[in-house]
Amino acid sequence: MTAGPSRLAVPRRRALLGAAALTATPLAKPFIAPAAAADTIKIGLLLAKTGDIAAQTEYLANGTYLALEERGNKIMGQPAELIWLDEPSPQGSQQNMQRLVQENKVVAILGGSLSSNALAEQATAAQLKIPFVCNNAAATDMTGKNCNHYTFRLNTPVAVQAAMFAPYIMGYGKKWYFLTANYAFGQDIAKSFKQILTQASGTIAGDDVVPLNTPDYSSFILKIRQAKPDMILGGVPAGDLSTFLKQWNEMGMKGSIPICEIAIGDTDIWAVGPEAATGLYTALWWYDNANNPPEEKAFAAGYLKKYGKPAADKAWMGWIAAKSLFESIELAKSTETEAIINGLESWKGGSATNPYYWRKGDHQMLLRNLVVQTKPKITDKWDYFDVKGVVPENLADLEKVFGSPEVNGCHMT
Amino acid sequence: MLDVILSQVATGLVLGGLYVLIAIGLSIIFGLLGIVNFAHGNFFALGAFFALTLQQHLGWPGVLLAPLLVGAVGMLVERILIRQLYDKEPLVSLIITFALALMIEALLRLVYGGIGQPFSQPSFLSGIYLWGPVLITKYRLTVFVTTIVLLIALWAFMQFTPYGRILRAGSRDPEMVGLLGIRLPRVLTAVFGLGCCLAGIAGVLAAPLWTVIPSMSQNAIMPAFVVVVIGGLGSFAGAVIAGLLVGVVTALTIQFQPDAATAMMYVFMAAVLLVRPRGLLGERWERFE
Repeated sequence: MTAGPSRLAVPRRRALLGAAALTATPLAKPFIAPAAAADTIKIGLLLAKTGDIAAQTEYLANGTYLALEERGNKIMGQPAELIWLDEPSPQGSQQNMQRLVQENKVVAILGGSLSSNALAEQATAAQLKIPFVCNNAAATDMTGKNCNHYTFRLNTPVAVQAAMFAPYIMGYGKKWYFLTANYAFGQDIAKSFKQILTQASGTIAGDDVVPLNTPDYSSFILKIRQAKPDMILGGVPAGDLSTFLKQWNEMGMKGSIPICEIAIGDTDIWAVGPEAATGLYTALWWYDNANNPPEEKAFAAGYLKKYGKPAADKAWMGWIAAKSLFESIELAKSTETEAIINGLESWKGGSATNPYYWRKGDHQMLLRNLVVQTKPKITDKWDYFDVKGVVPENLADLEKVFGSPEVNGCHMT
Repeated sequence: MLDVILSQVATGLVLGGLYVLIAIGLSIIFGLLGIVNFAHGNFFALGAFFALTLQQHLGWPGVLLAPLLVGAVGMLVERILIRQLYDKEPLVSLIITFALALMIEALLRLVYGGIGQPFSQPSFLSGIYLWGPVLITKYRLTVFVTTIVLLIALWAFMQFTPYGRILRAGSRDPEMVGLLGIRLPRVLTAVFGLGCCLAGIAGVLAAPLWTVIPSMSQNAIMPAFVVVVIGGLGSFAGAVIAGLLVGVVTALTIQFQPDAATAMMYVFMAAVLLVRPRGLLGERWERFE
C-alpha cells in the first residue's frame, strides 16, 4: 500500500529528549519515595480490571475505597493506601500477588473476584505468609480442603448456599435442568445441587455445561424447551447470566419455567432490564432491605451520595471485607501478619439479631443469606428484588448450616 | 431426532448470520487495506453503546444513526492512526490495533461504567414463529433478513459500481491505481469506515441479544477471526459461507456436547486449514505472500 513517510506529531529531537528525561526519573525516586512510604500502611487490592467480571469488581473496588475513606484514609492514625493490581488469570493473579508483597510491601491483600483466581491466590498467600481476605469467590474448597491459616473468605460457600436455598426451590418440583458454567463456580453448583436432588429422589431433565462467555444461548434454550423441566438450576456467572436471561425472554420463555440460581449479583440483574428479569436467587445483601443494621444503611446512603447509584451487593462485599480488615489492624495495633490474623479472628460485625464473623476454625465468614425474587412488575431501574426470606431462618442454625471445619475438610495449616 | 437437528440448524444459521455480519467488515479491511484489525470487536461494541444512547435520547429511529457514527469514528481512526501503518510490518498493525482495542474498551468503561446496560428489542419485534420443530424469534429473523439484504447490497456495490471496482483494483495493485490518477488515501479512509460501519451494524443488531458491556467485544472478535480464517482471508463469499457454517457447527455441538461449543469452532477451523491452508475460498495474493 502506498503512503507517505510517517510524521511524528512531536519533533524527533524533542521526543528523544522527553524519553531521556523519563528514563532518568527513577534516579530521583530514592529521594522522594521513603519520606512517604515510611508511615503509609499499604493494603493490596487484587481484582480483575477487564473481562465480564469487571462489572462486579467495579463495585467491589468502590466499596473497598469507601471503607478506607470512611476512616479518613487512615489506619492506626497512619496514612493508609490501597494498591490495586489486576487479576488477568490464575497464574497472572499469583504473579501480581507476589508483586504486591515483594515490591509494594503491602501488609494484607483484599480481592479474589473469580473462584478460579482466588483458589490460586490463596495458595500464594500461604507461601508468602500474607493475610488474604477474599471478598467475592464462592468455591467451596476455599474454606474446605484448600483452607489455610492466611486466607479469610467472605462469600458463603456454594455447598452452604445450596443447602440454604433447597427448601425454597423444592416447591417448584423435582425435575431439574442444570445449566452451569464450565469453571470452578459452576462445577461446584452442579455438584452441590445434584447431591440435594438425589437425596430428594428427584430427576435430572438435562445437564448442560456452558463455556464461559457464551454469547448465544438460543441452542441451549431450545434444549431446555424440549426437556420440559420443572425448573432450571442455573450456575452461570455475571454477564453470562444477564445474556441468558435476555435471550430467555427474547425467545418467549419468560414465565414458562422457573429459574433458580445462587449468589446473584445486583449488577447481573441490572444489566438484564425490567422486561427480561426473572428468577429466584440467594444474595448476601440487598441495599433496600428494611432489616439492614443502621451502619449498613449509612453505608448505602454514603454510596448513593458518592456514586449516584445504589450500592450493589458487591459494593457491600468490598466494603465489609475491607472494613473488617482495617478494624482488625486497628484492633491488633500492629501490621504484623499474625497480629492481623488474630484481629480478624476476633472481629465481629452486623447487629445483635443478625451478626456475622470470621470463624476461627476455617476463616469462613458466617453470615445469613437472603432469598430474593424479581418483582412481578419492576418500575425502578435499580429496585428489582423482593426479599422472600433470610436463611437460615433461625440464627442458632448458622453454625450447623455452614458445617464444622472438620466436616468440610478444613485442616488449618 | 431429525426434529431436534432441524431446529438447531435453523438456530445455528441465524447465529451464523450475525457472525457473518461481524466478520465481513474485518474481511473487507484486511482484504483491501492489508490491516489485521484487532479493534474490530470494539467497533462492534461501539455500535451497541451508540444504539443504547441514541435510543434513550431519540427513540428507535435514532438507532439507525449508530452504525454511521461508528463508521465516522472508524474514518477518523484511519486518518489519525491506521494510515501510518500501511507501509509497516504486519506485526506493527497488530500491536497498534490491539492497543486501540484496549483504549476503546477503557473509554467505554469510563463513560458508561463497567456494568452491563439493559437494552431489549423494540416491542414490535417481540414474539416467536413456530414452524413444526423450528422456533425462531421475530427479532432474530429480522437480524437474519437484514444481514442478507446488507450482504447483497455490499456485493452489488463491489461488483457493479465504479467505486467498487476501484476498491477491488486498489486491493490488488495500489500503485497502479494511484498512477491512474485516483486518490487512494481517500478511498482507504472510506474502506476502513465501511468496515467499521458494518461492525457497528452488527453491534446494533446484537445489542438486544447480548449483554451490552464494554467487554462485549471479546465475544465478537474471536468468532470474527475464526470466520475470516475459515473463509479465506479477504474473501467476501468465503466469510459468508464460513460464518453460516460456524453458526451451525456451534448449535449442533451445543445439542450433543455443550461444554465443547466454543472449542468446536476452533477444531472446525483447524480441520478446514488442514485440508485448505488458505481457507475455503482463499486465493493467493502476491502482496500478502
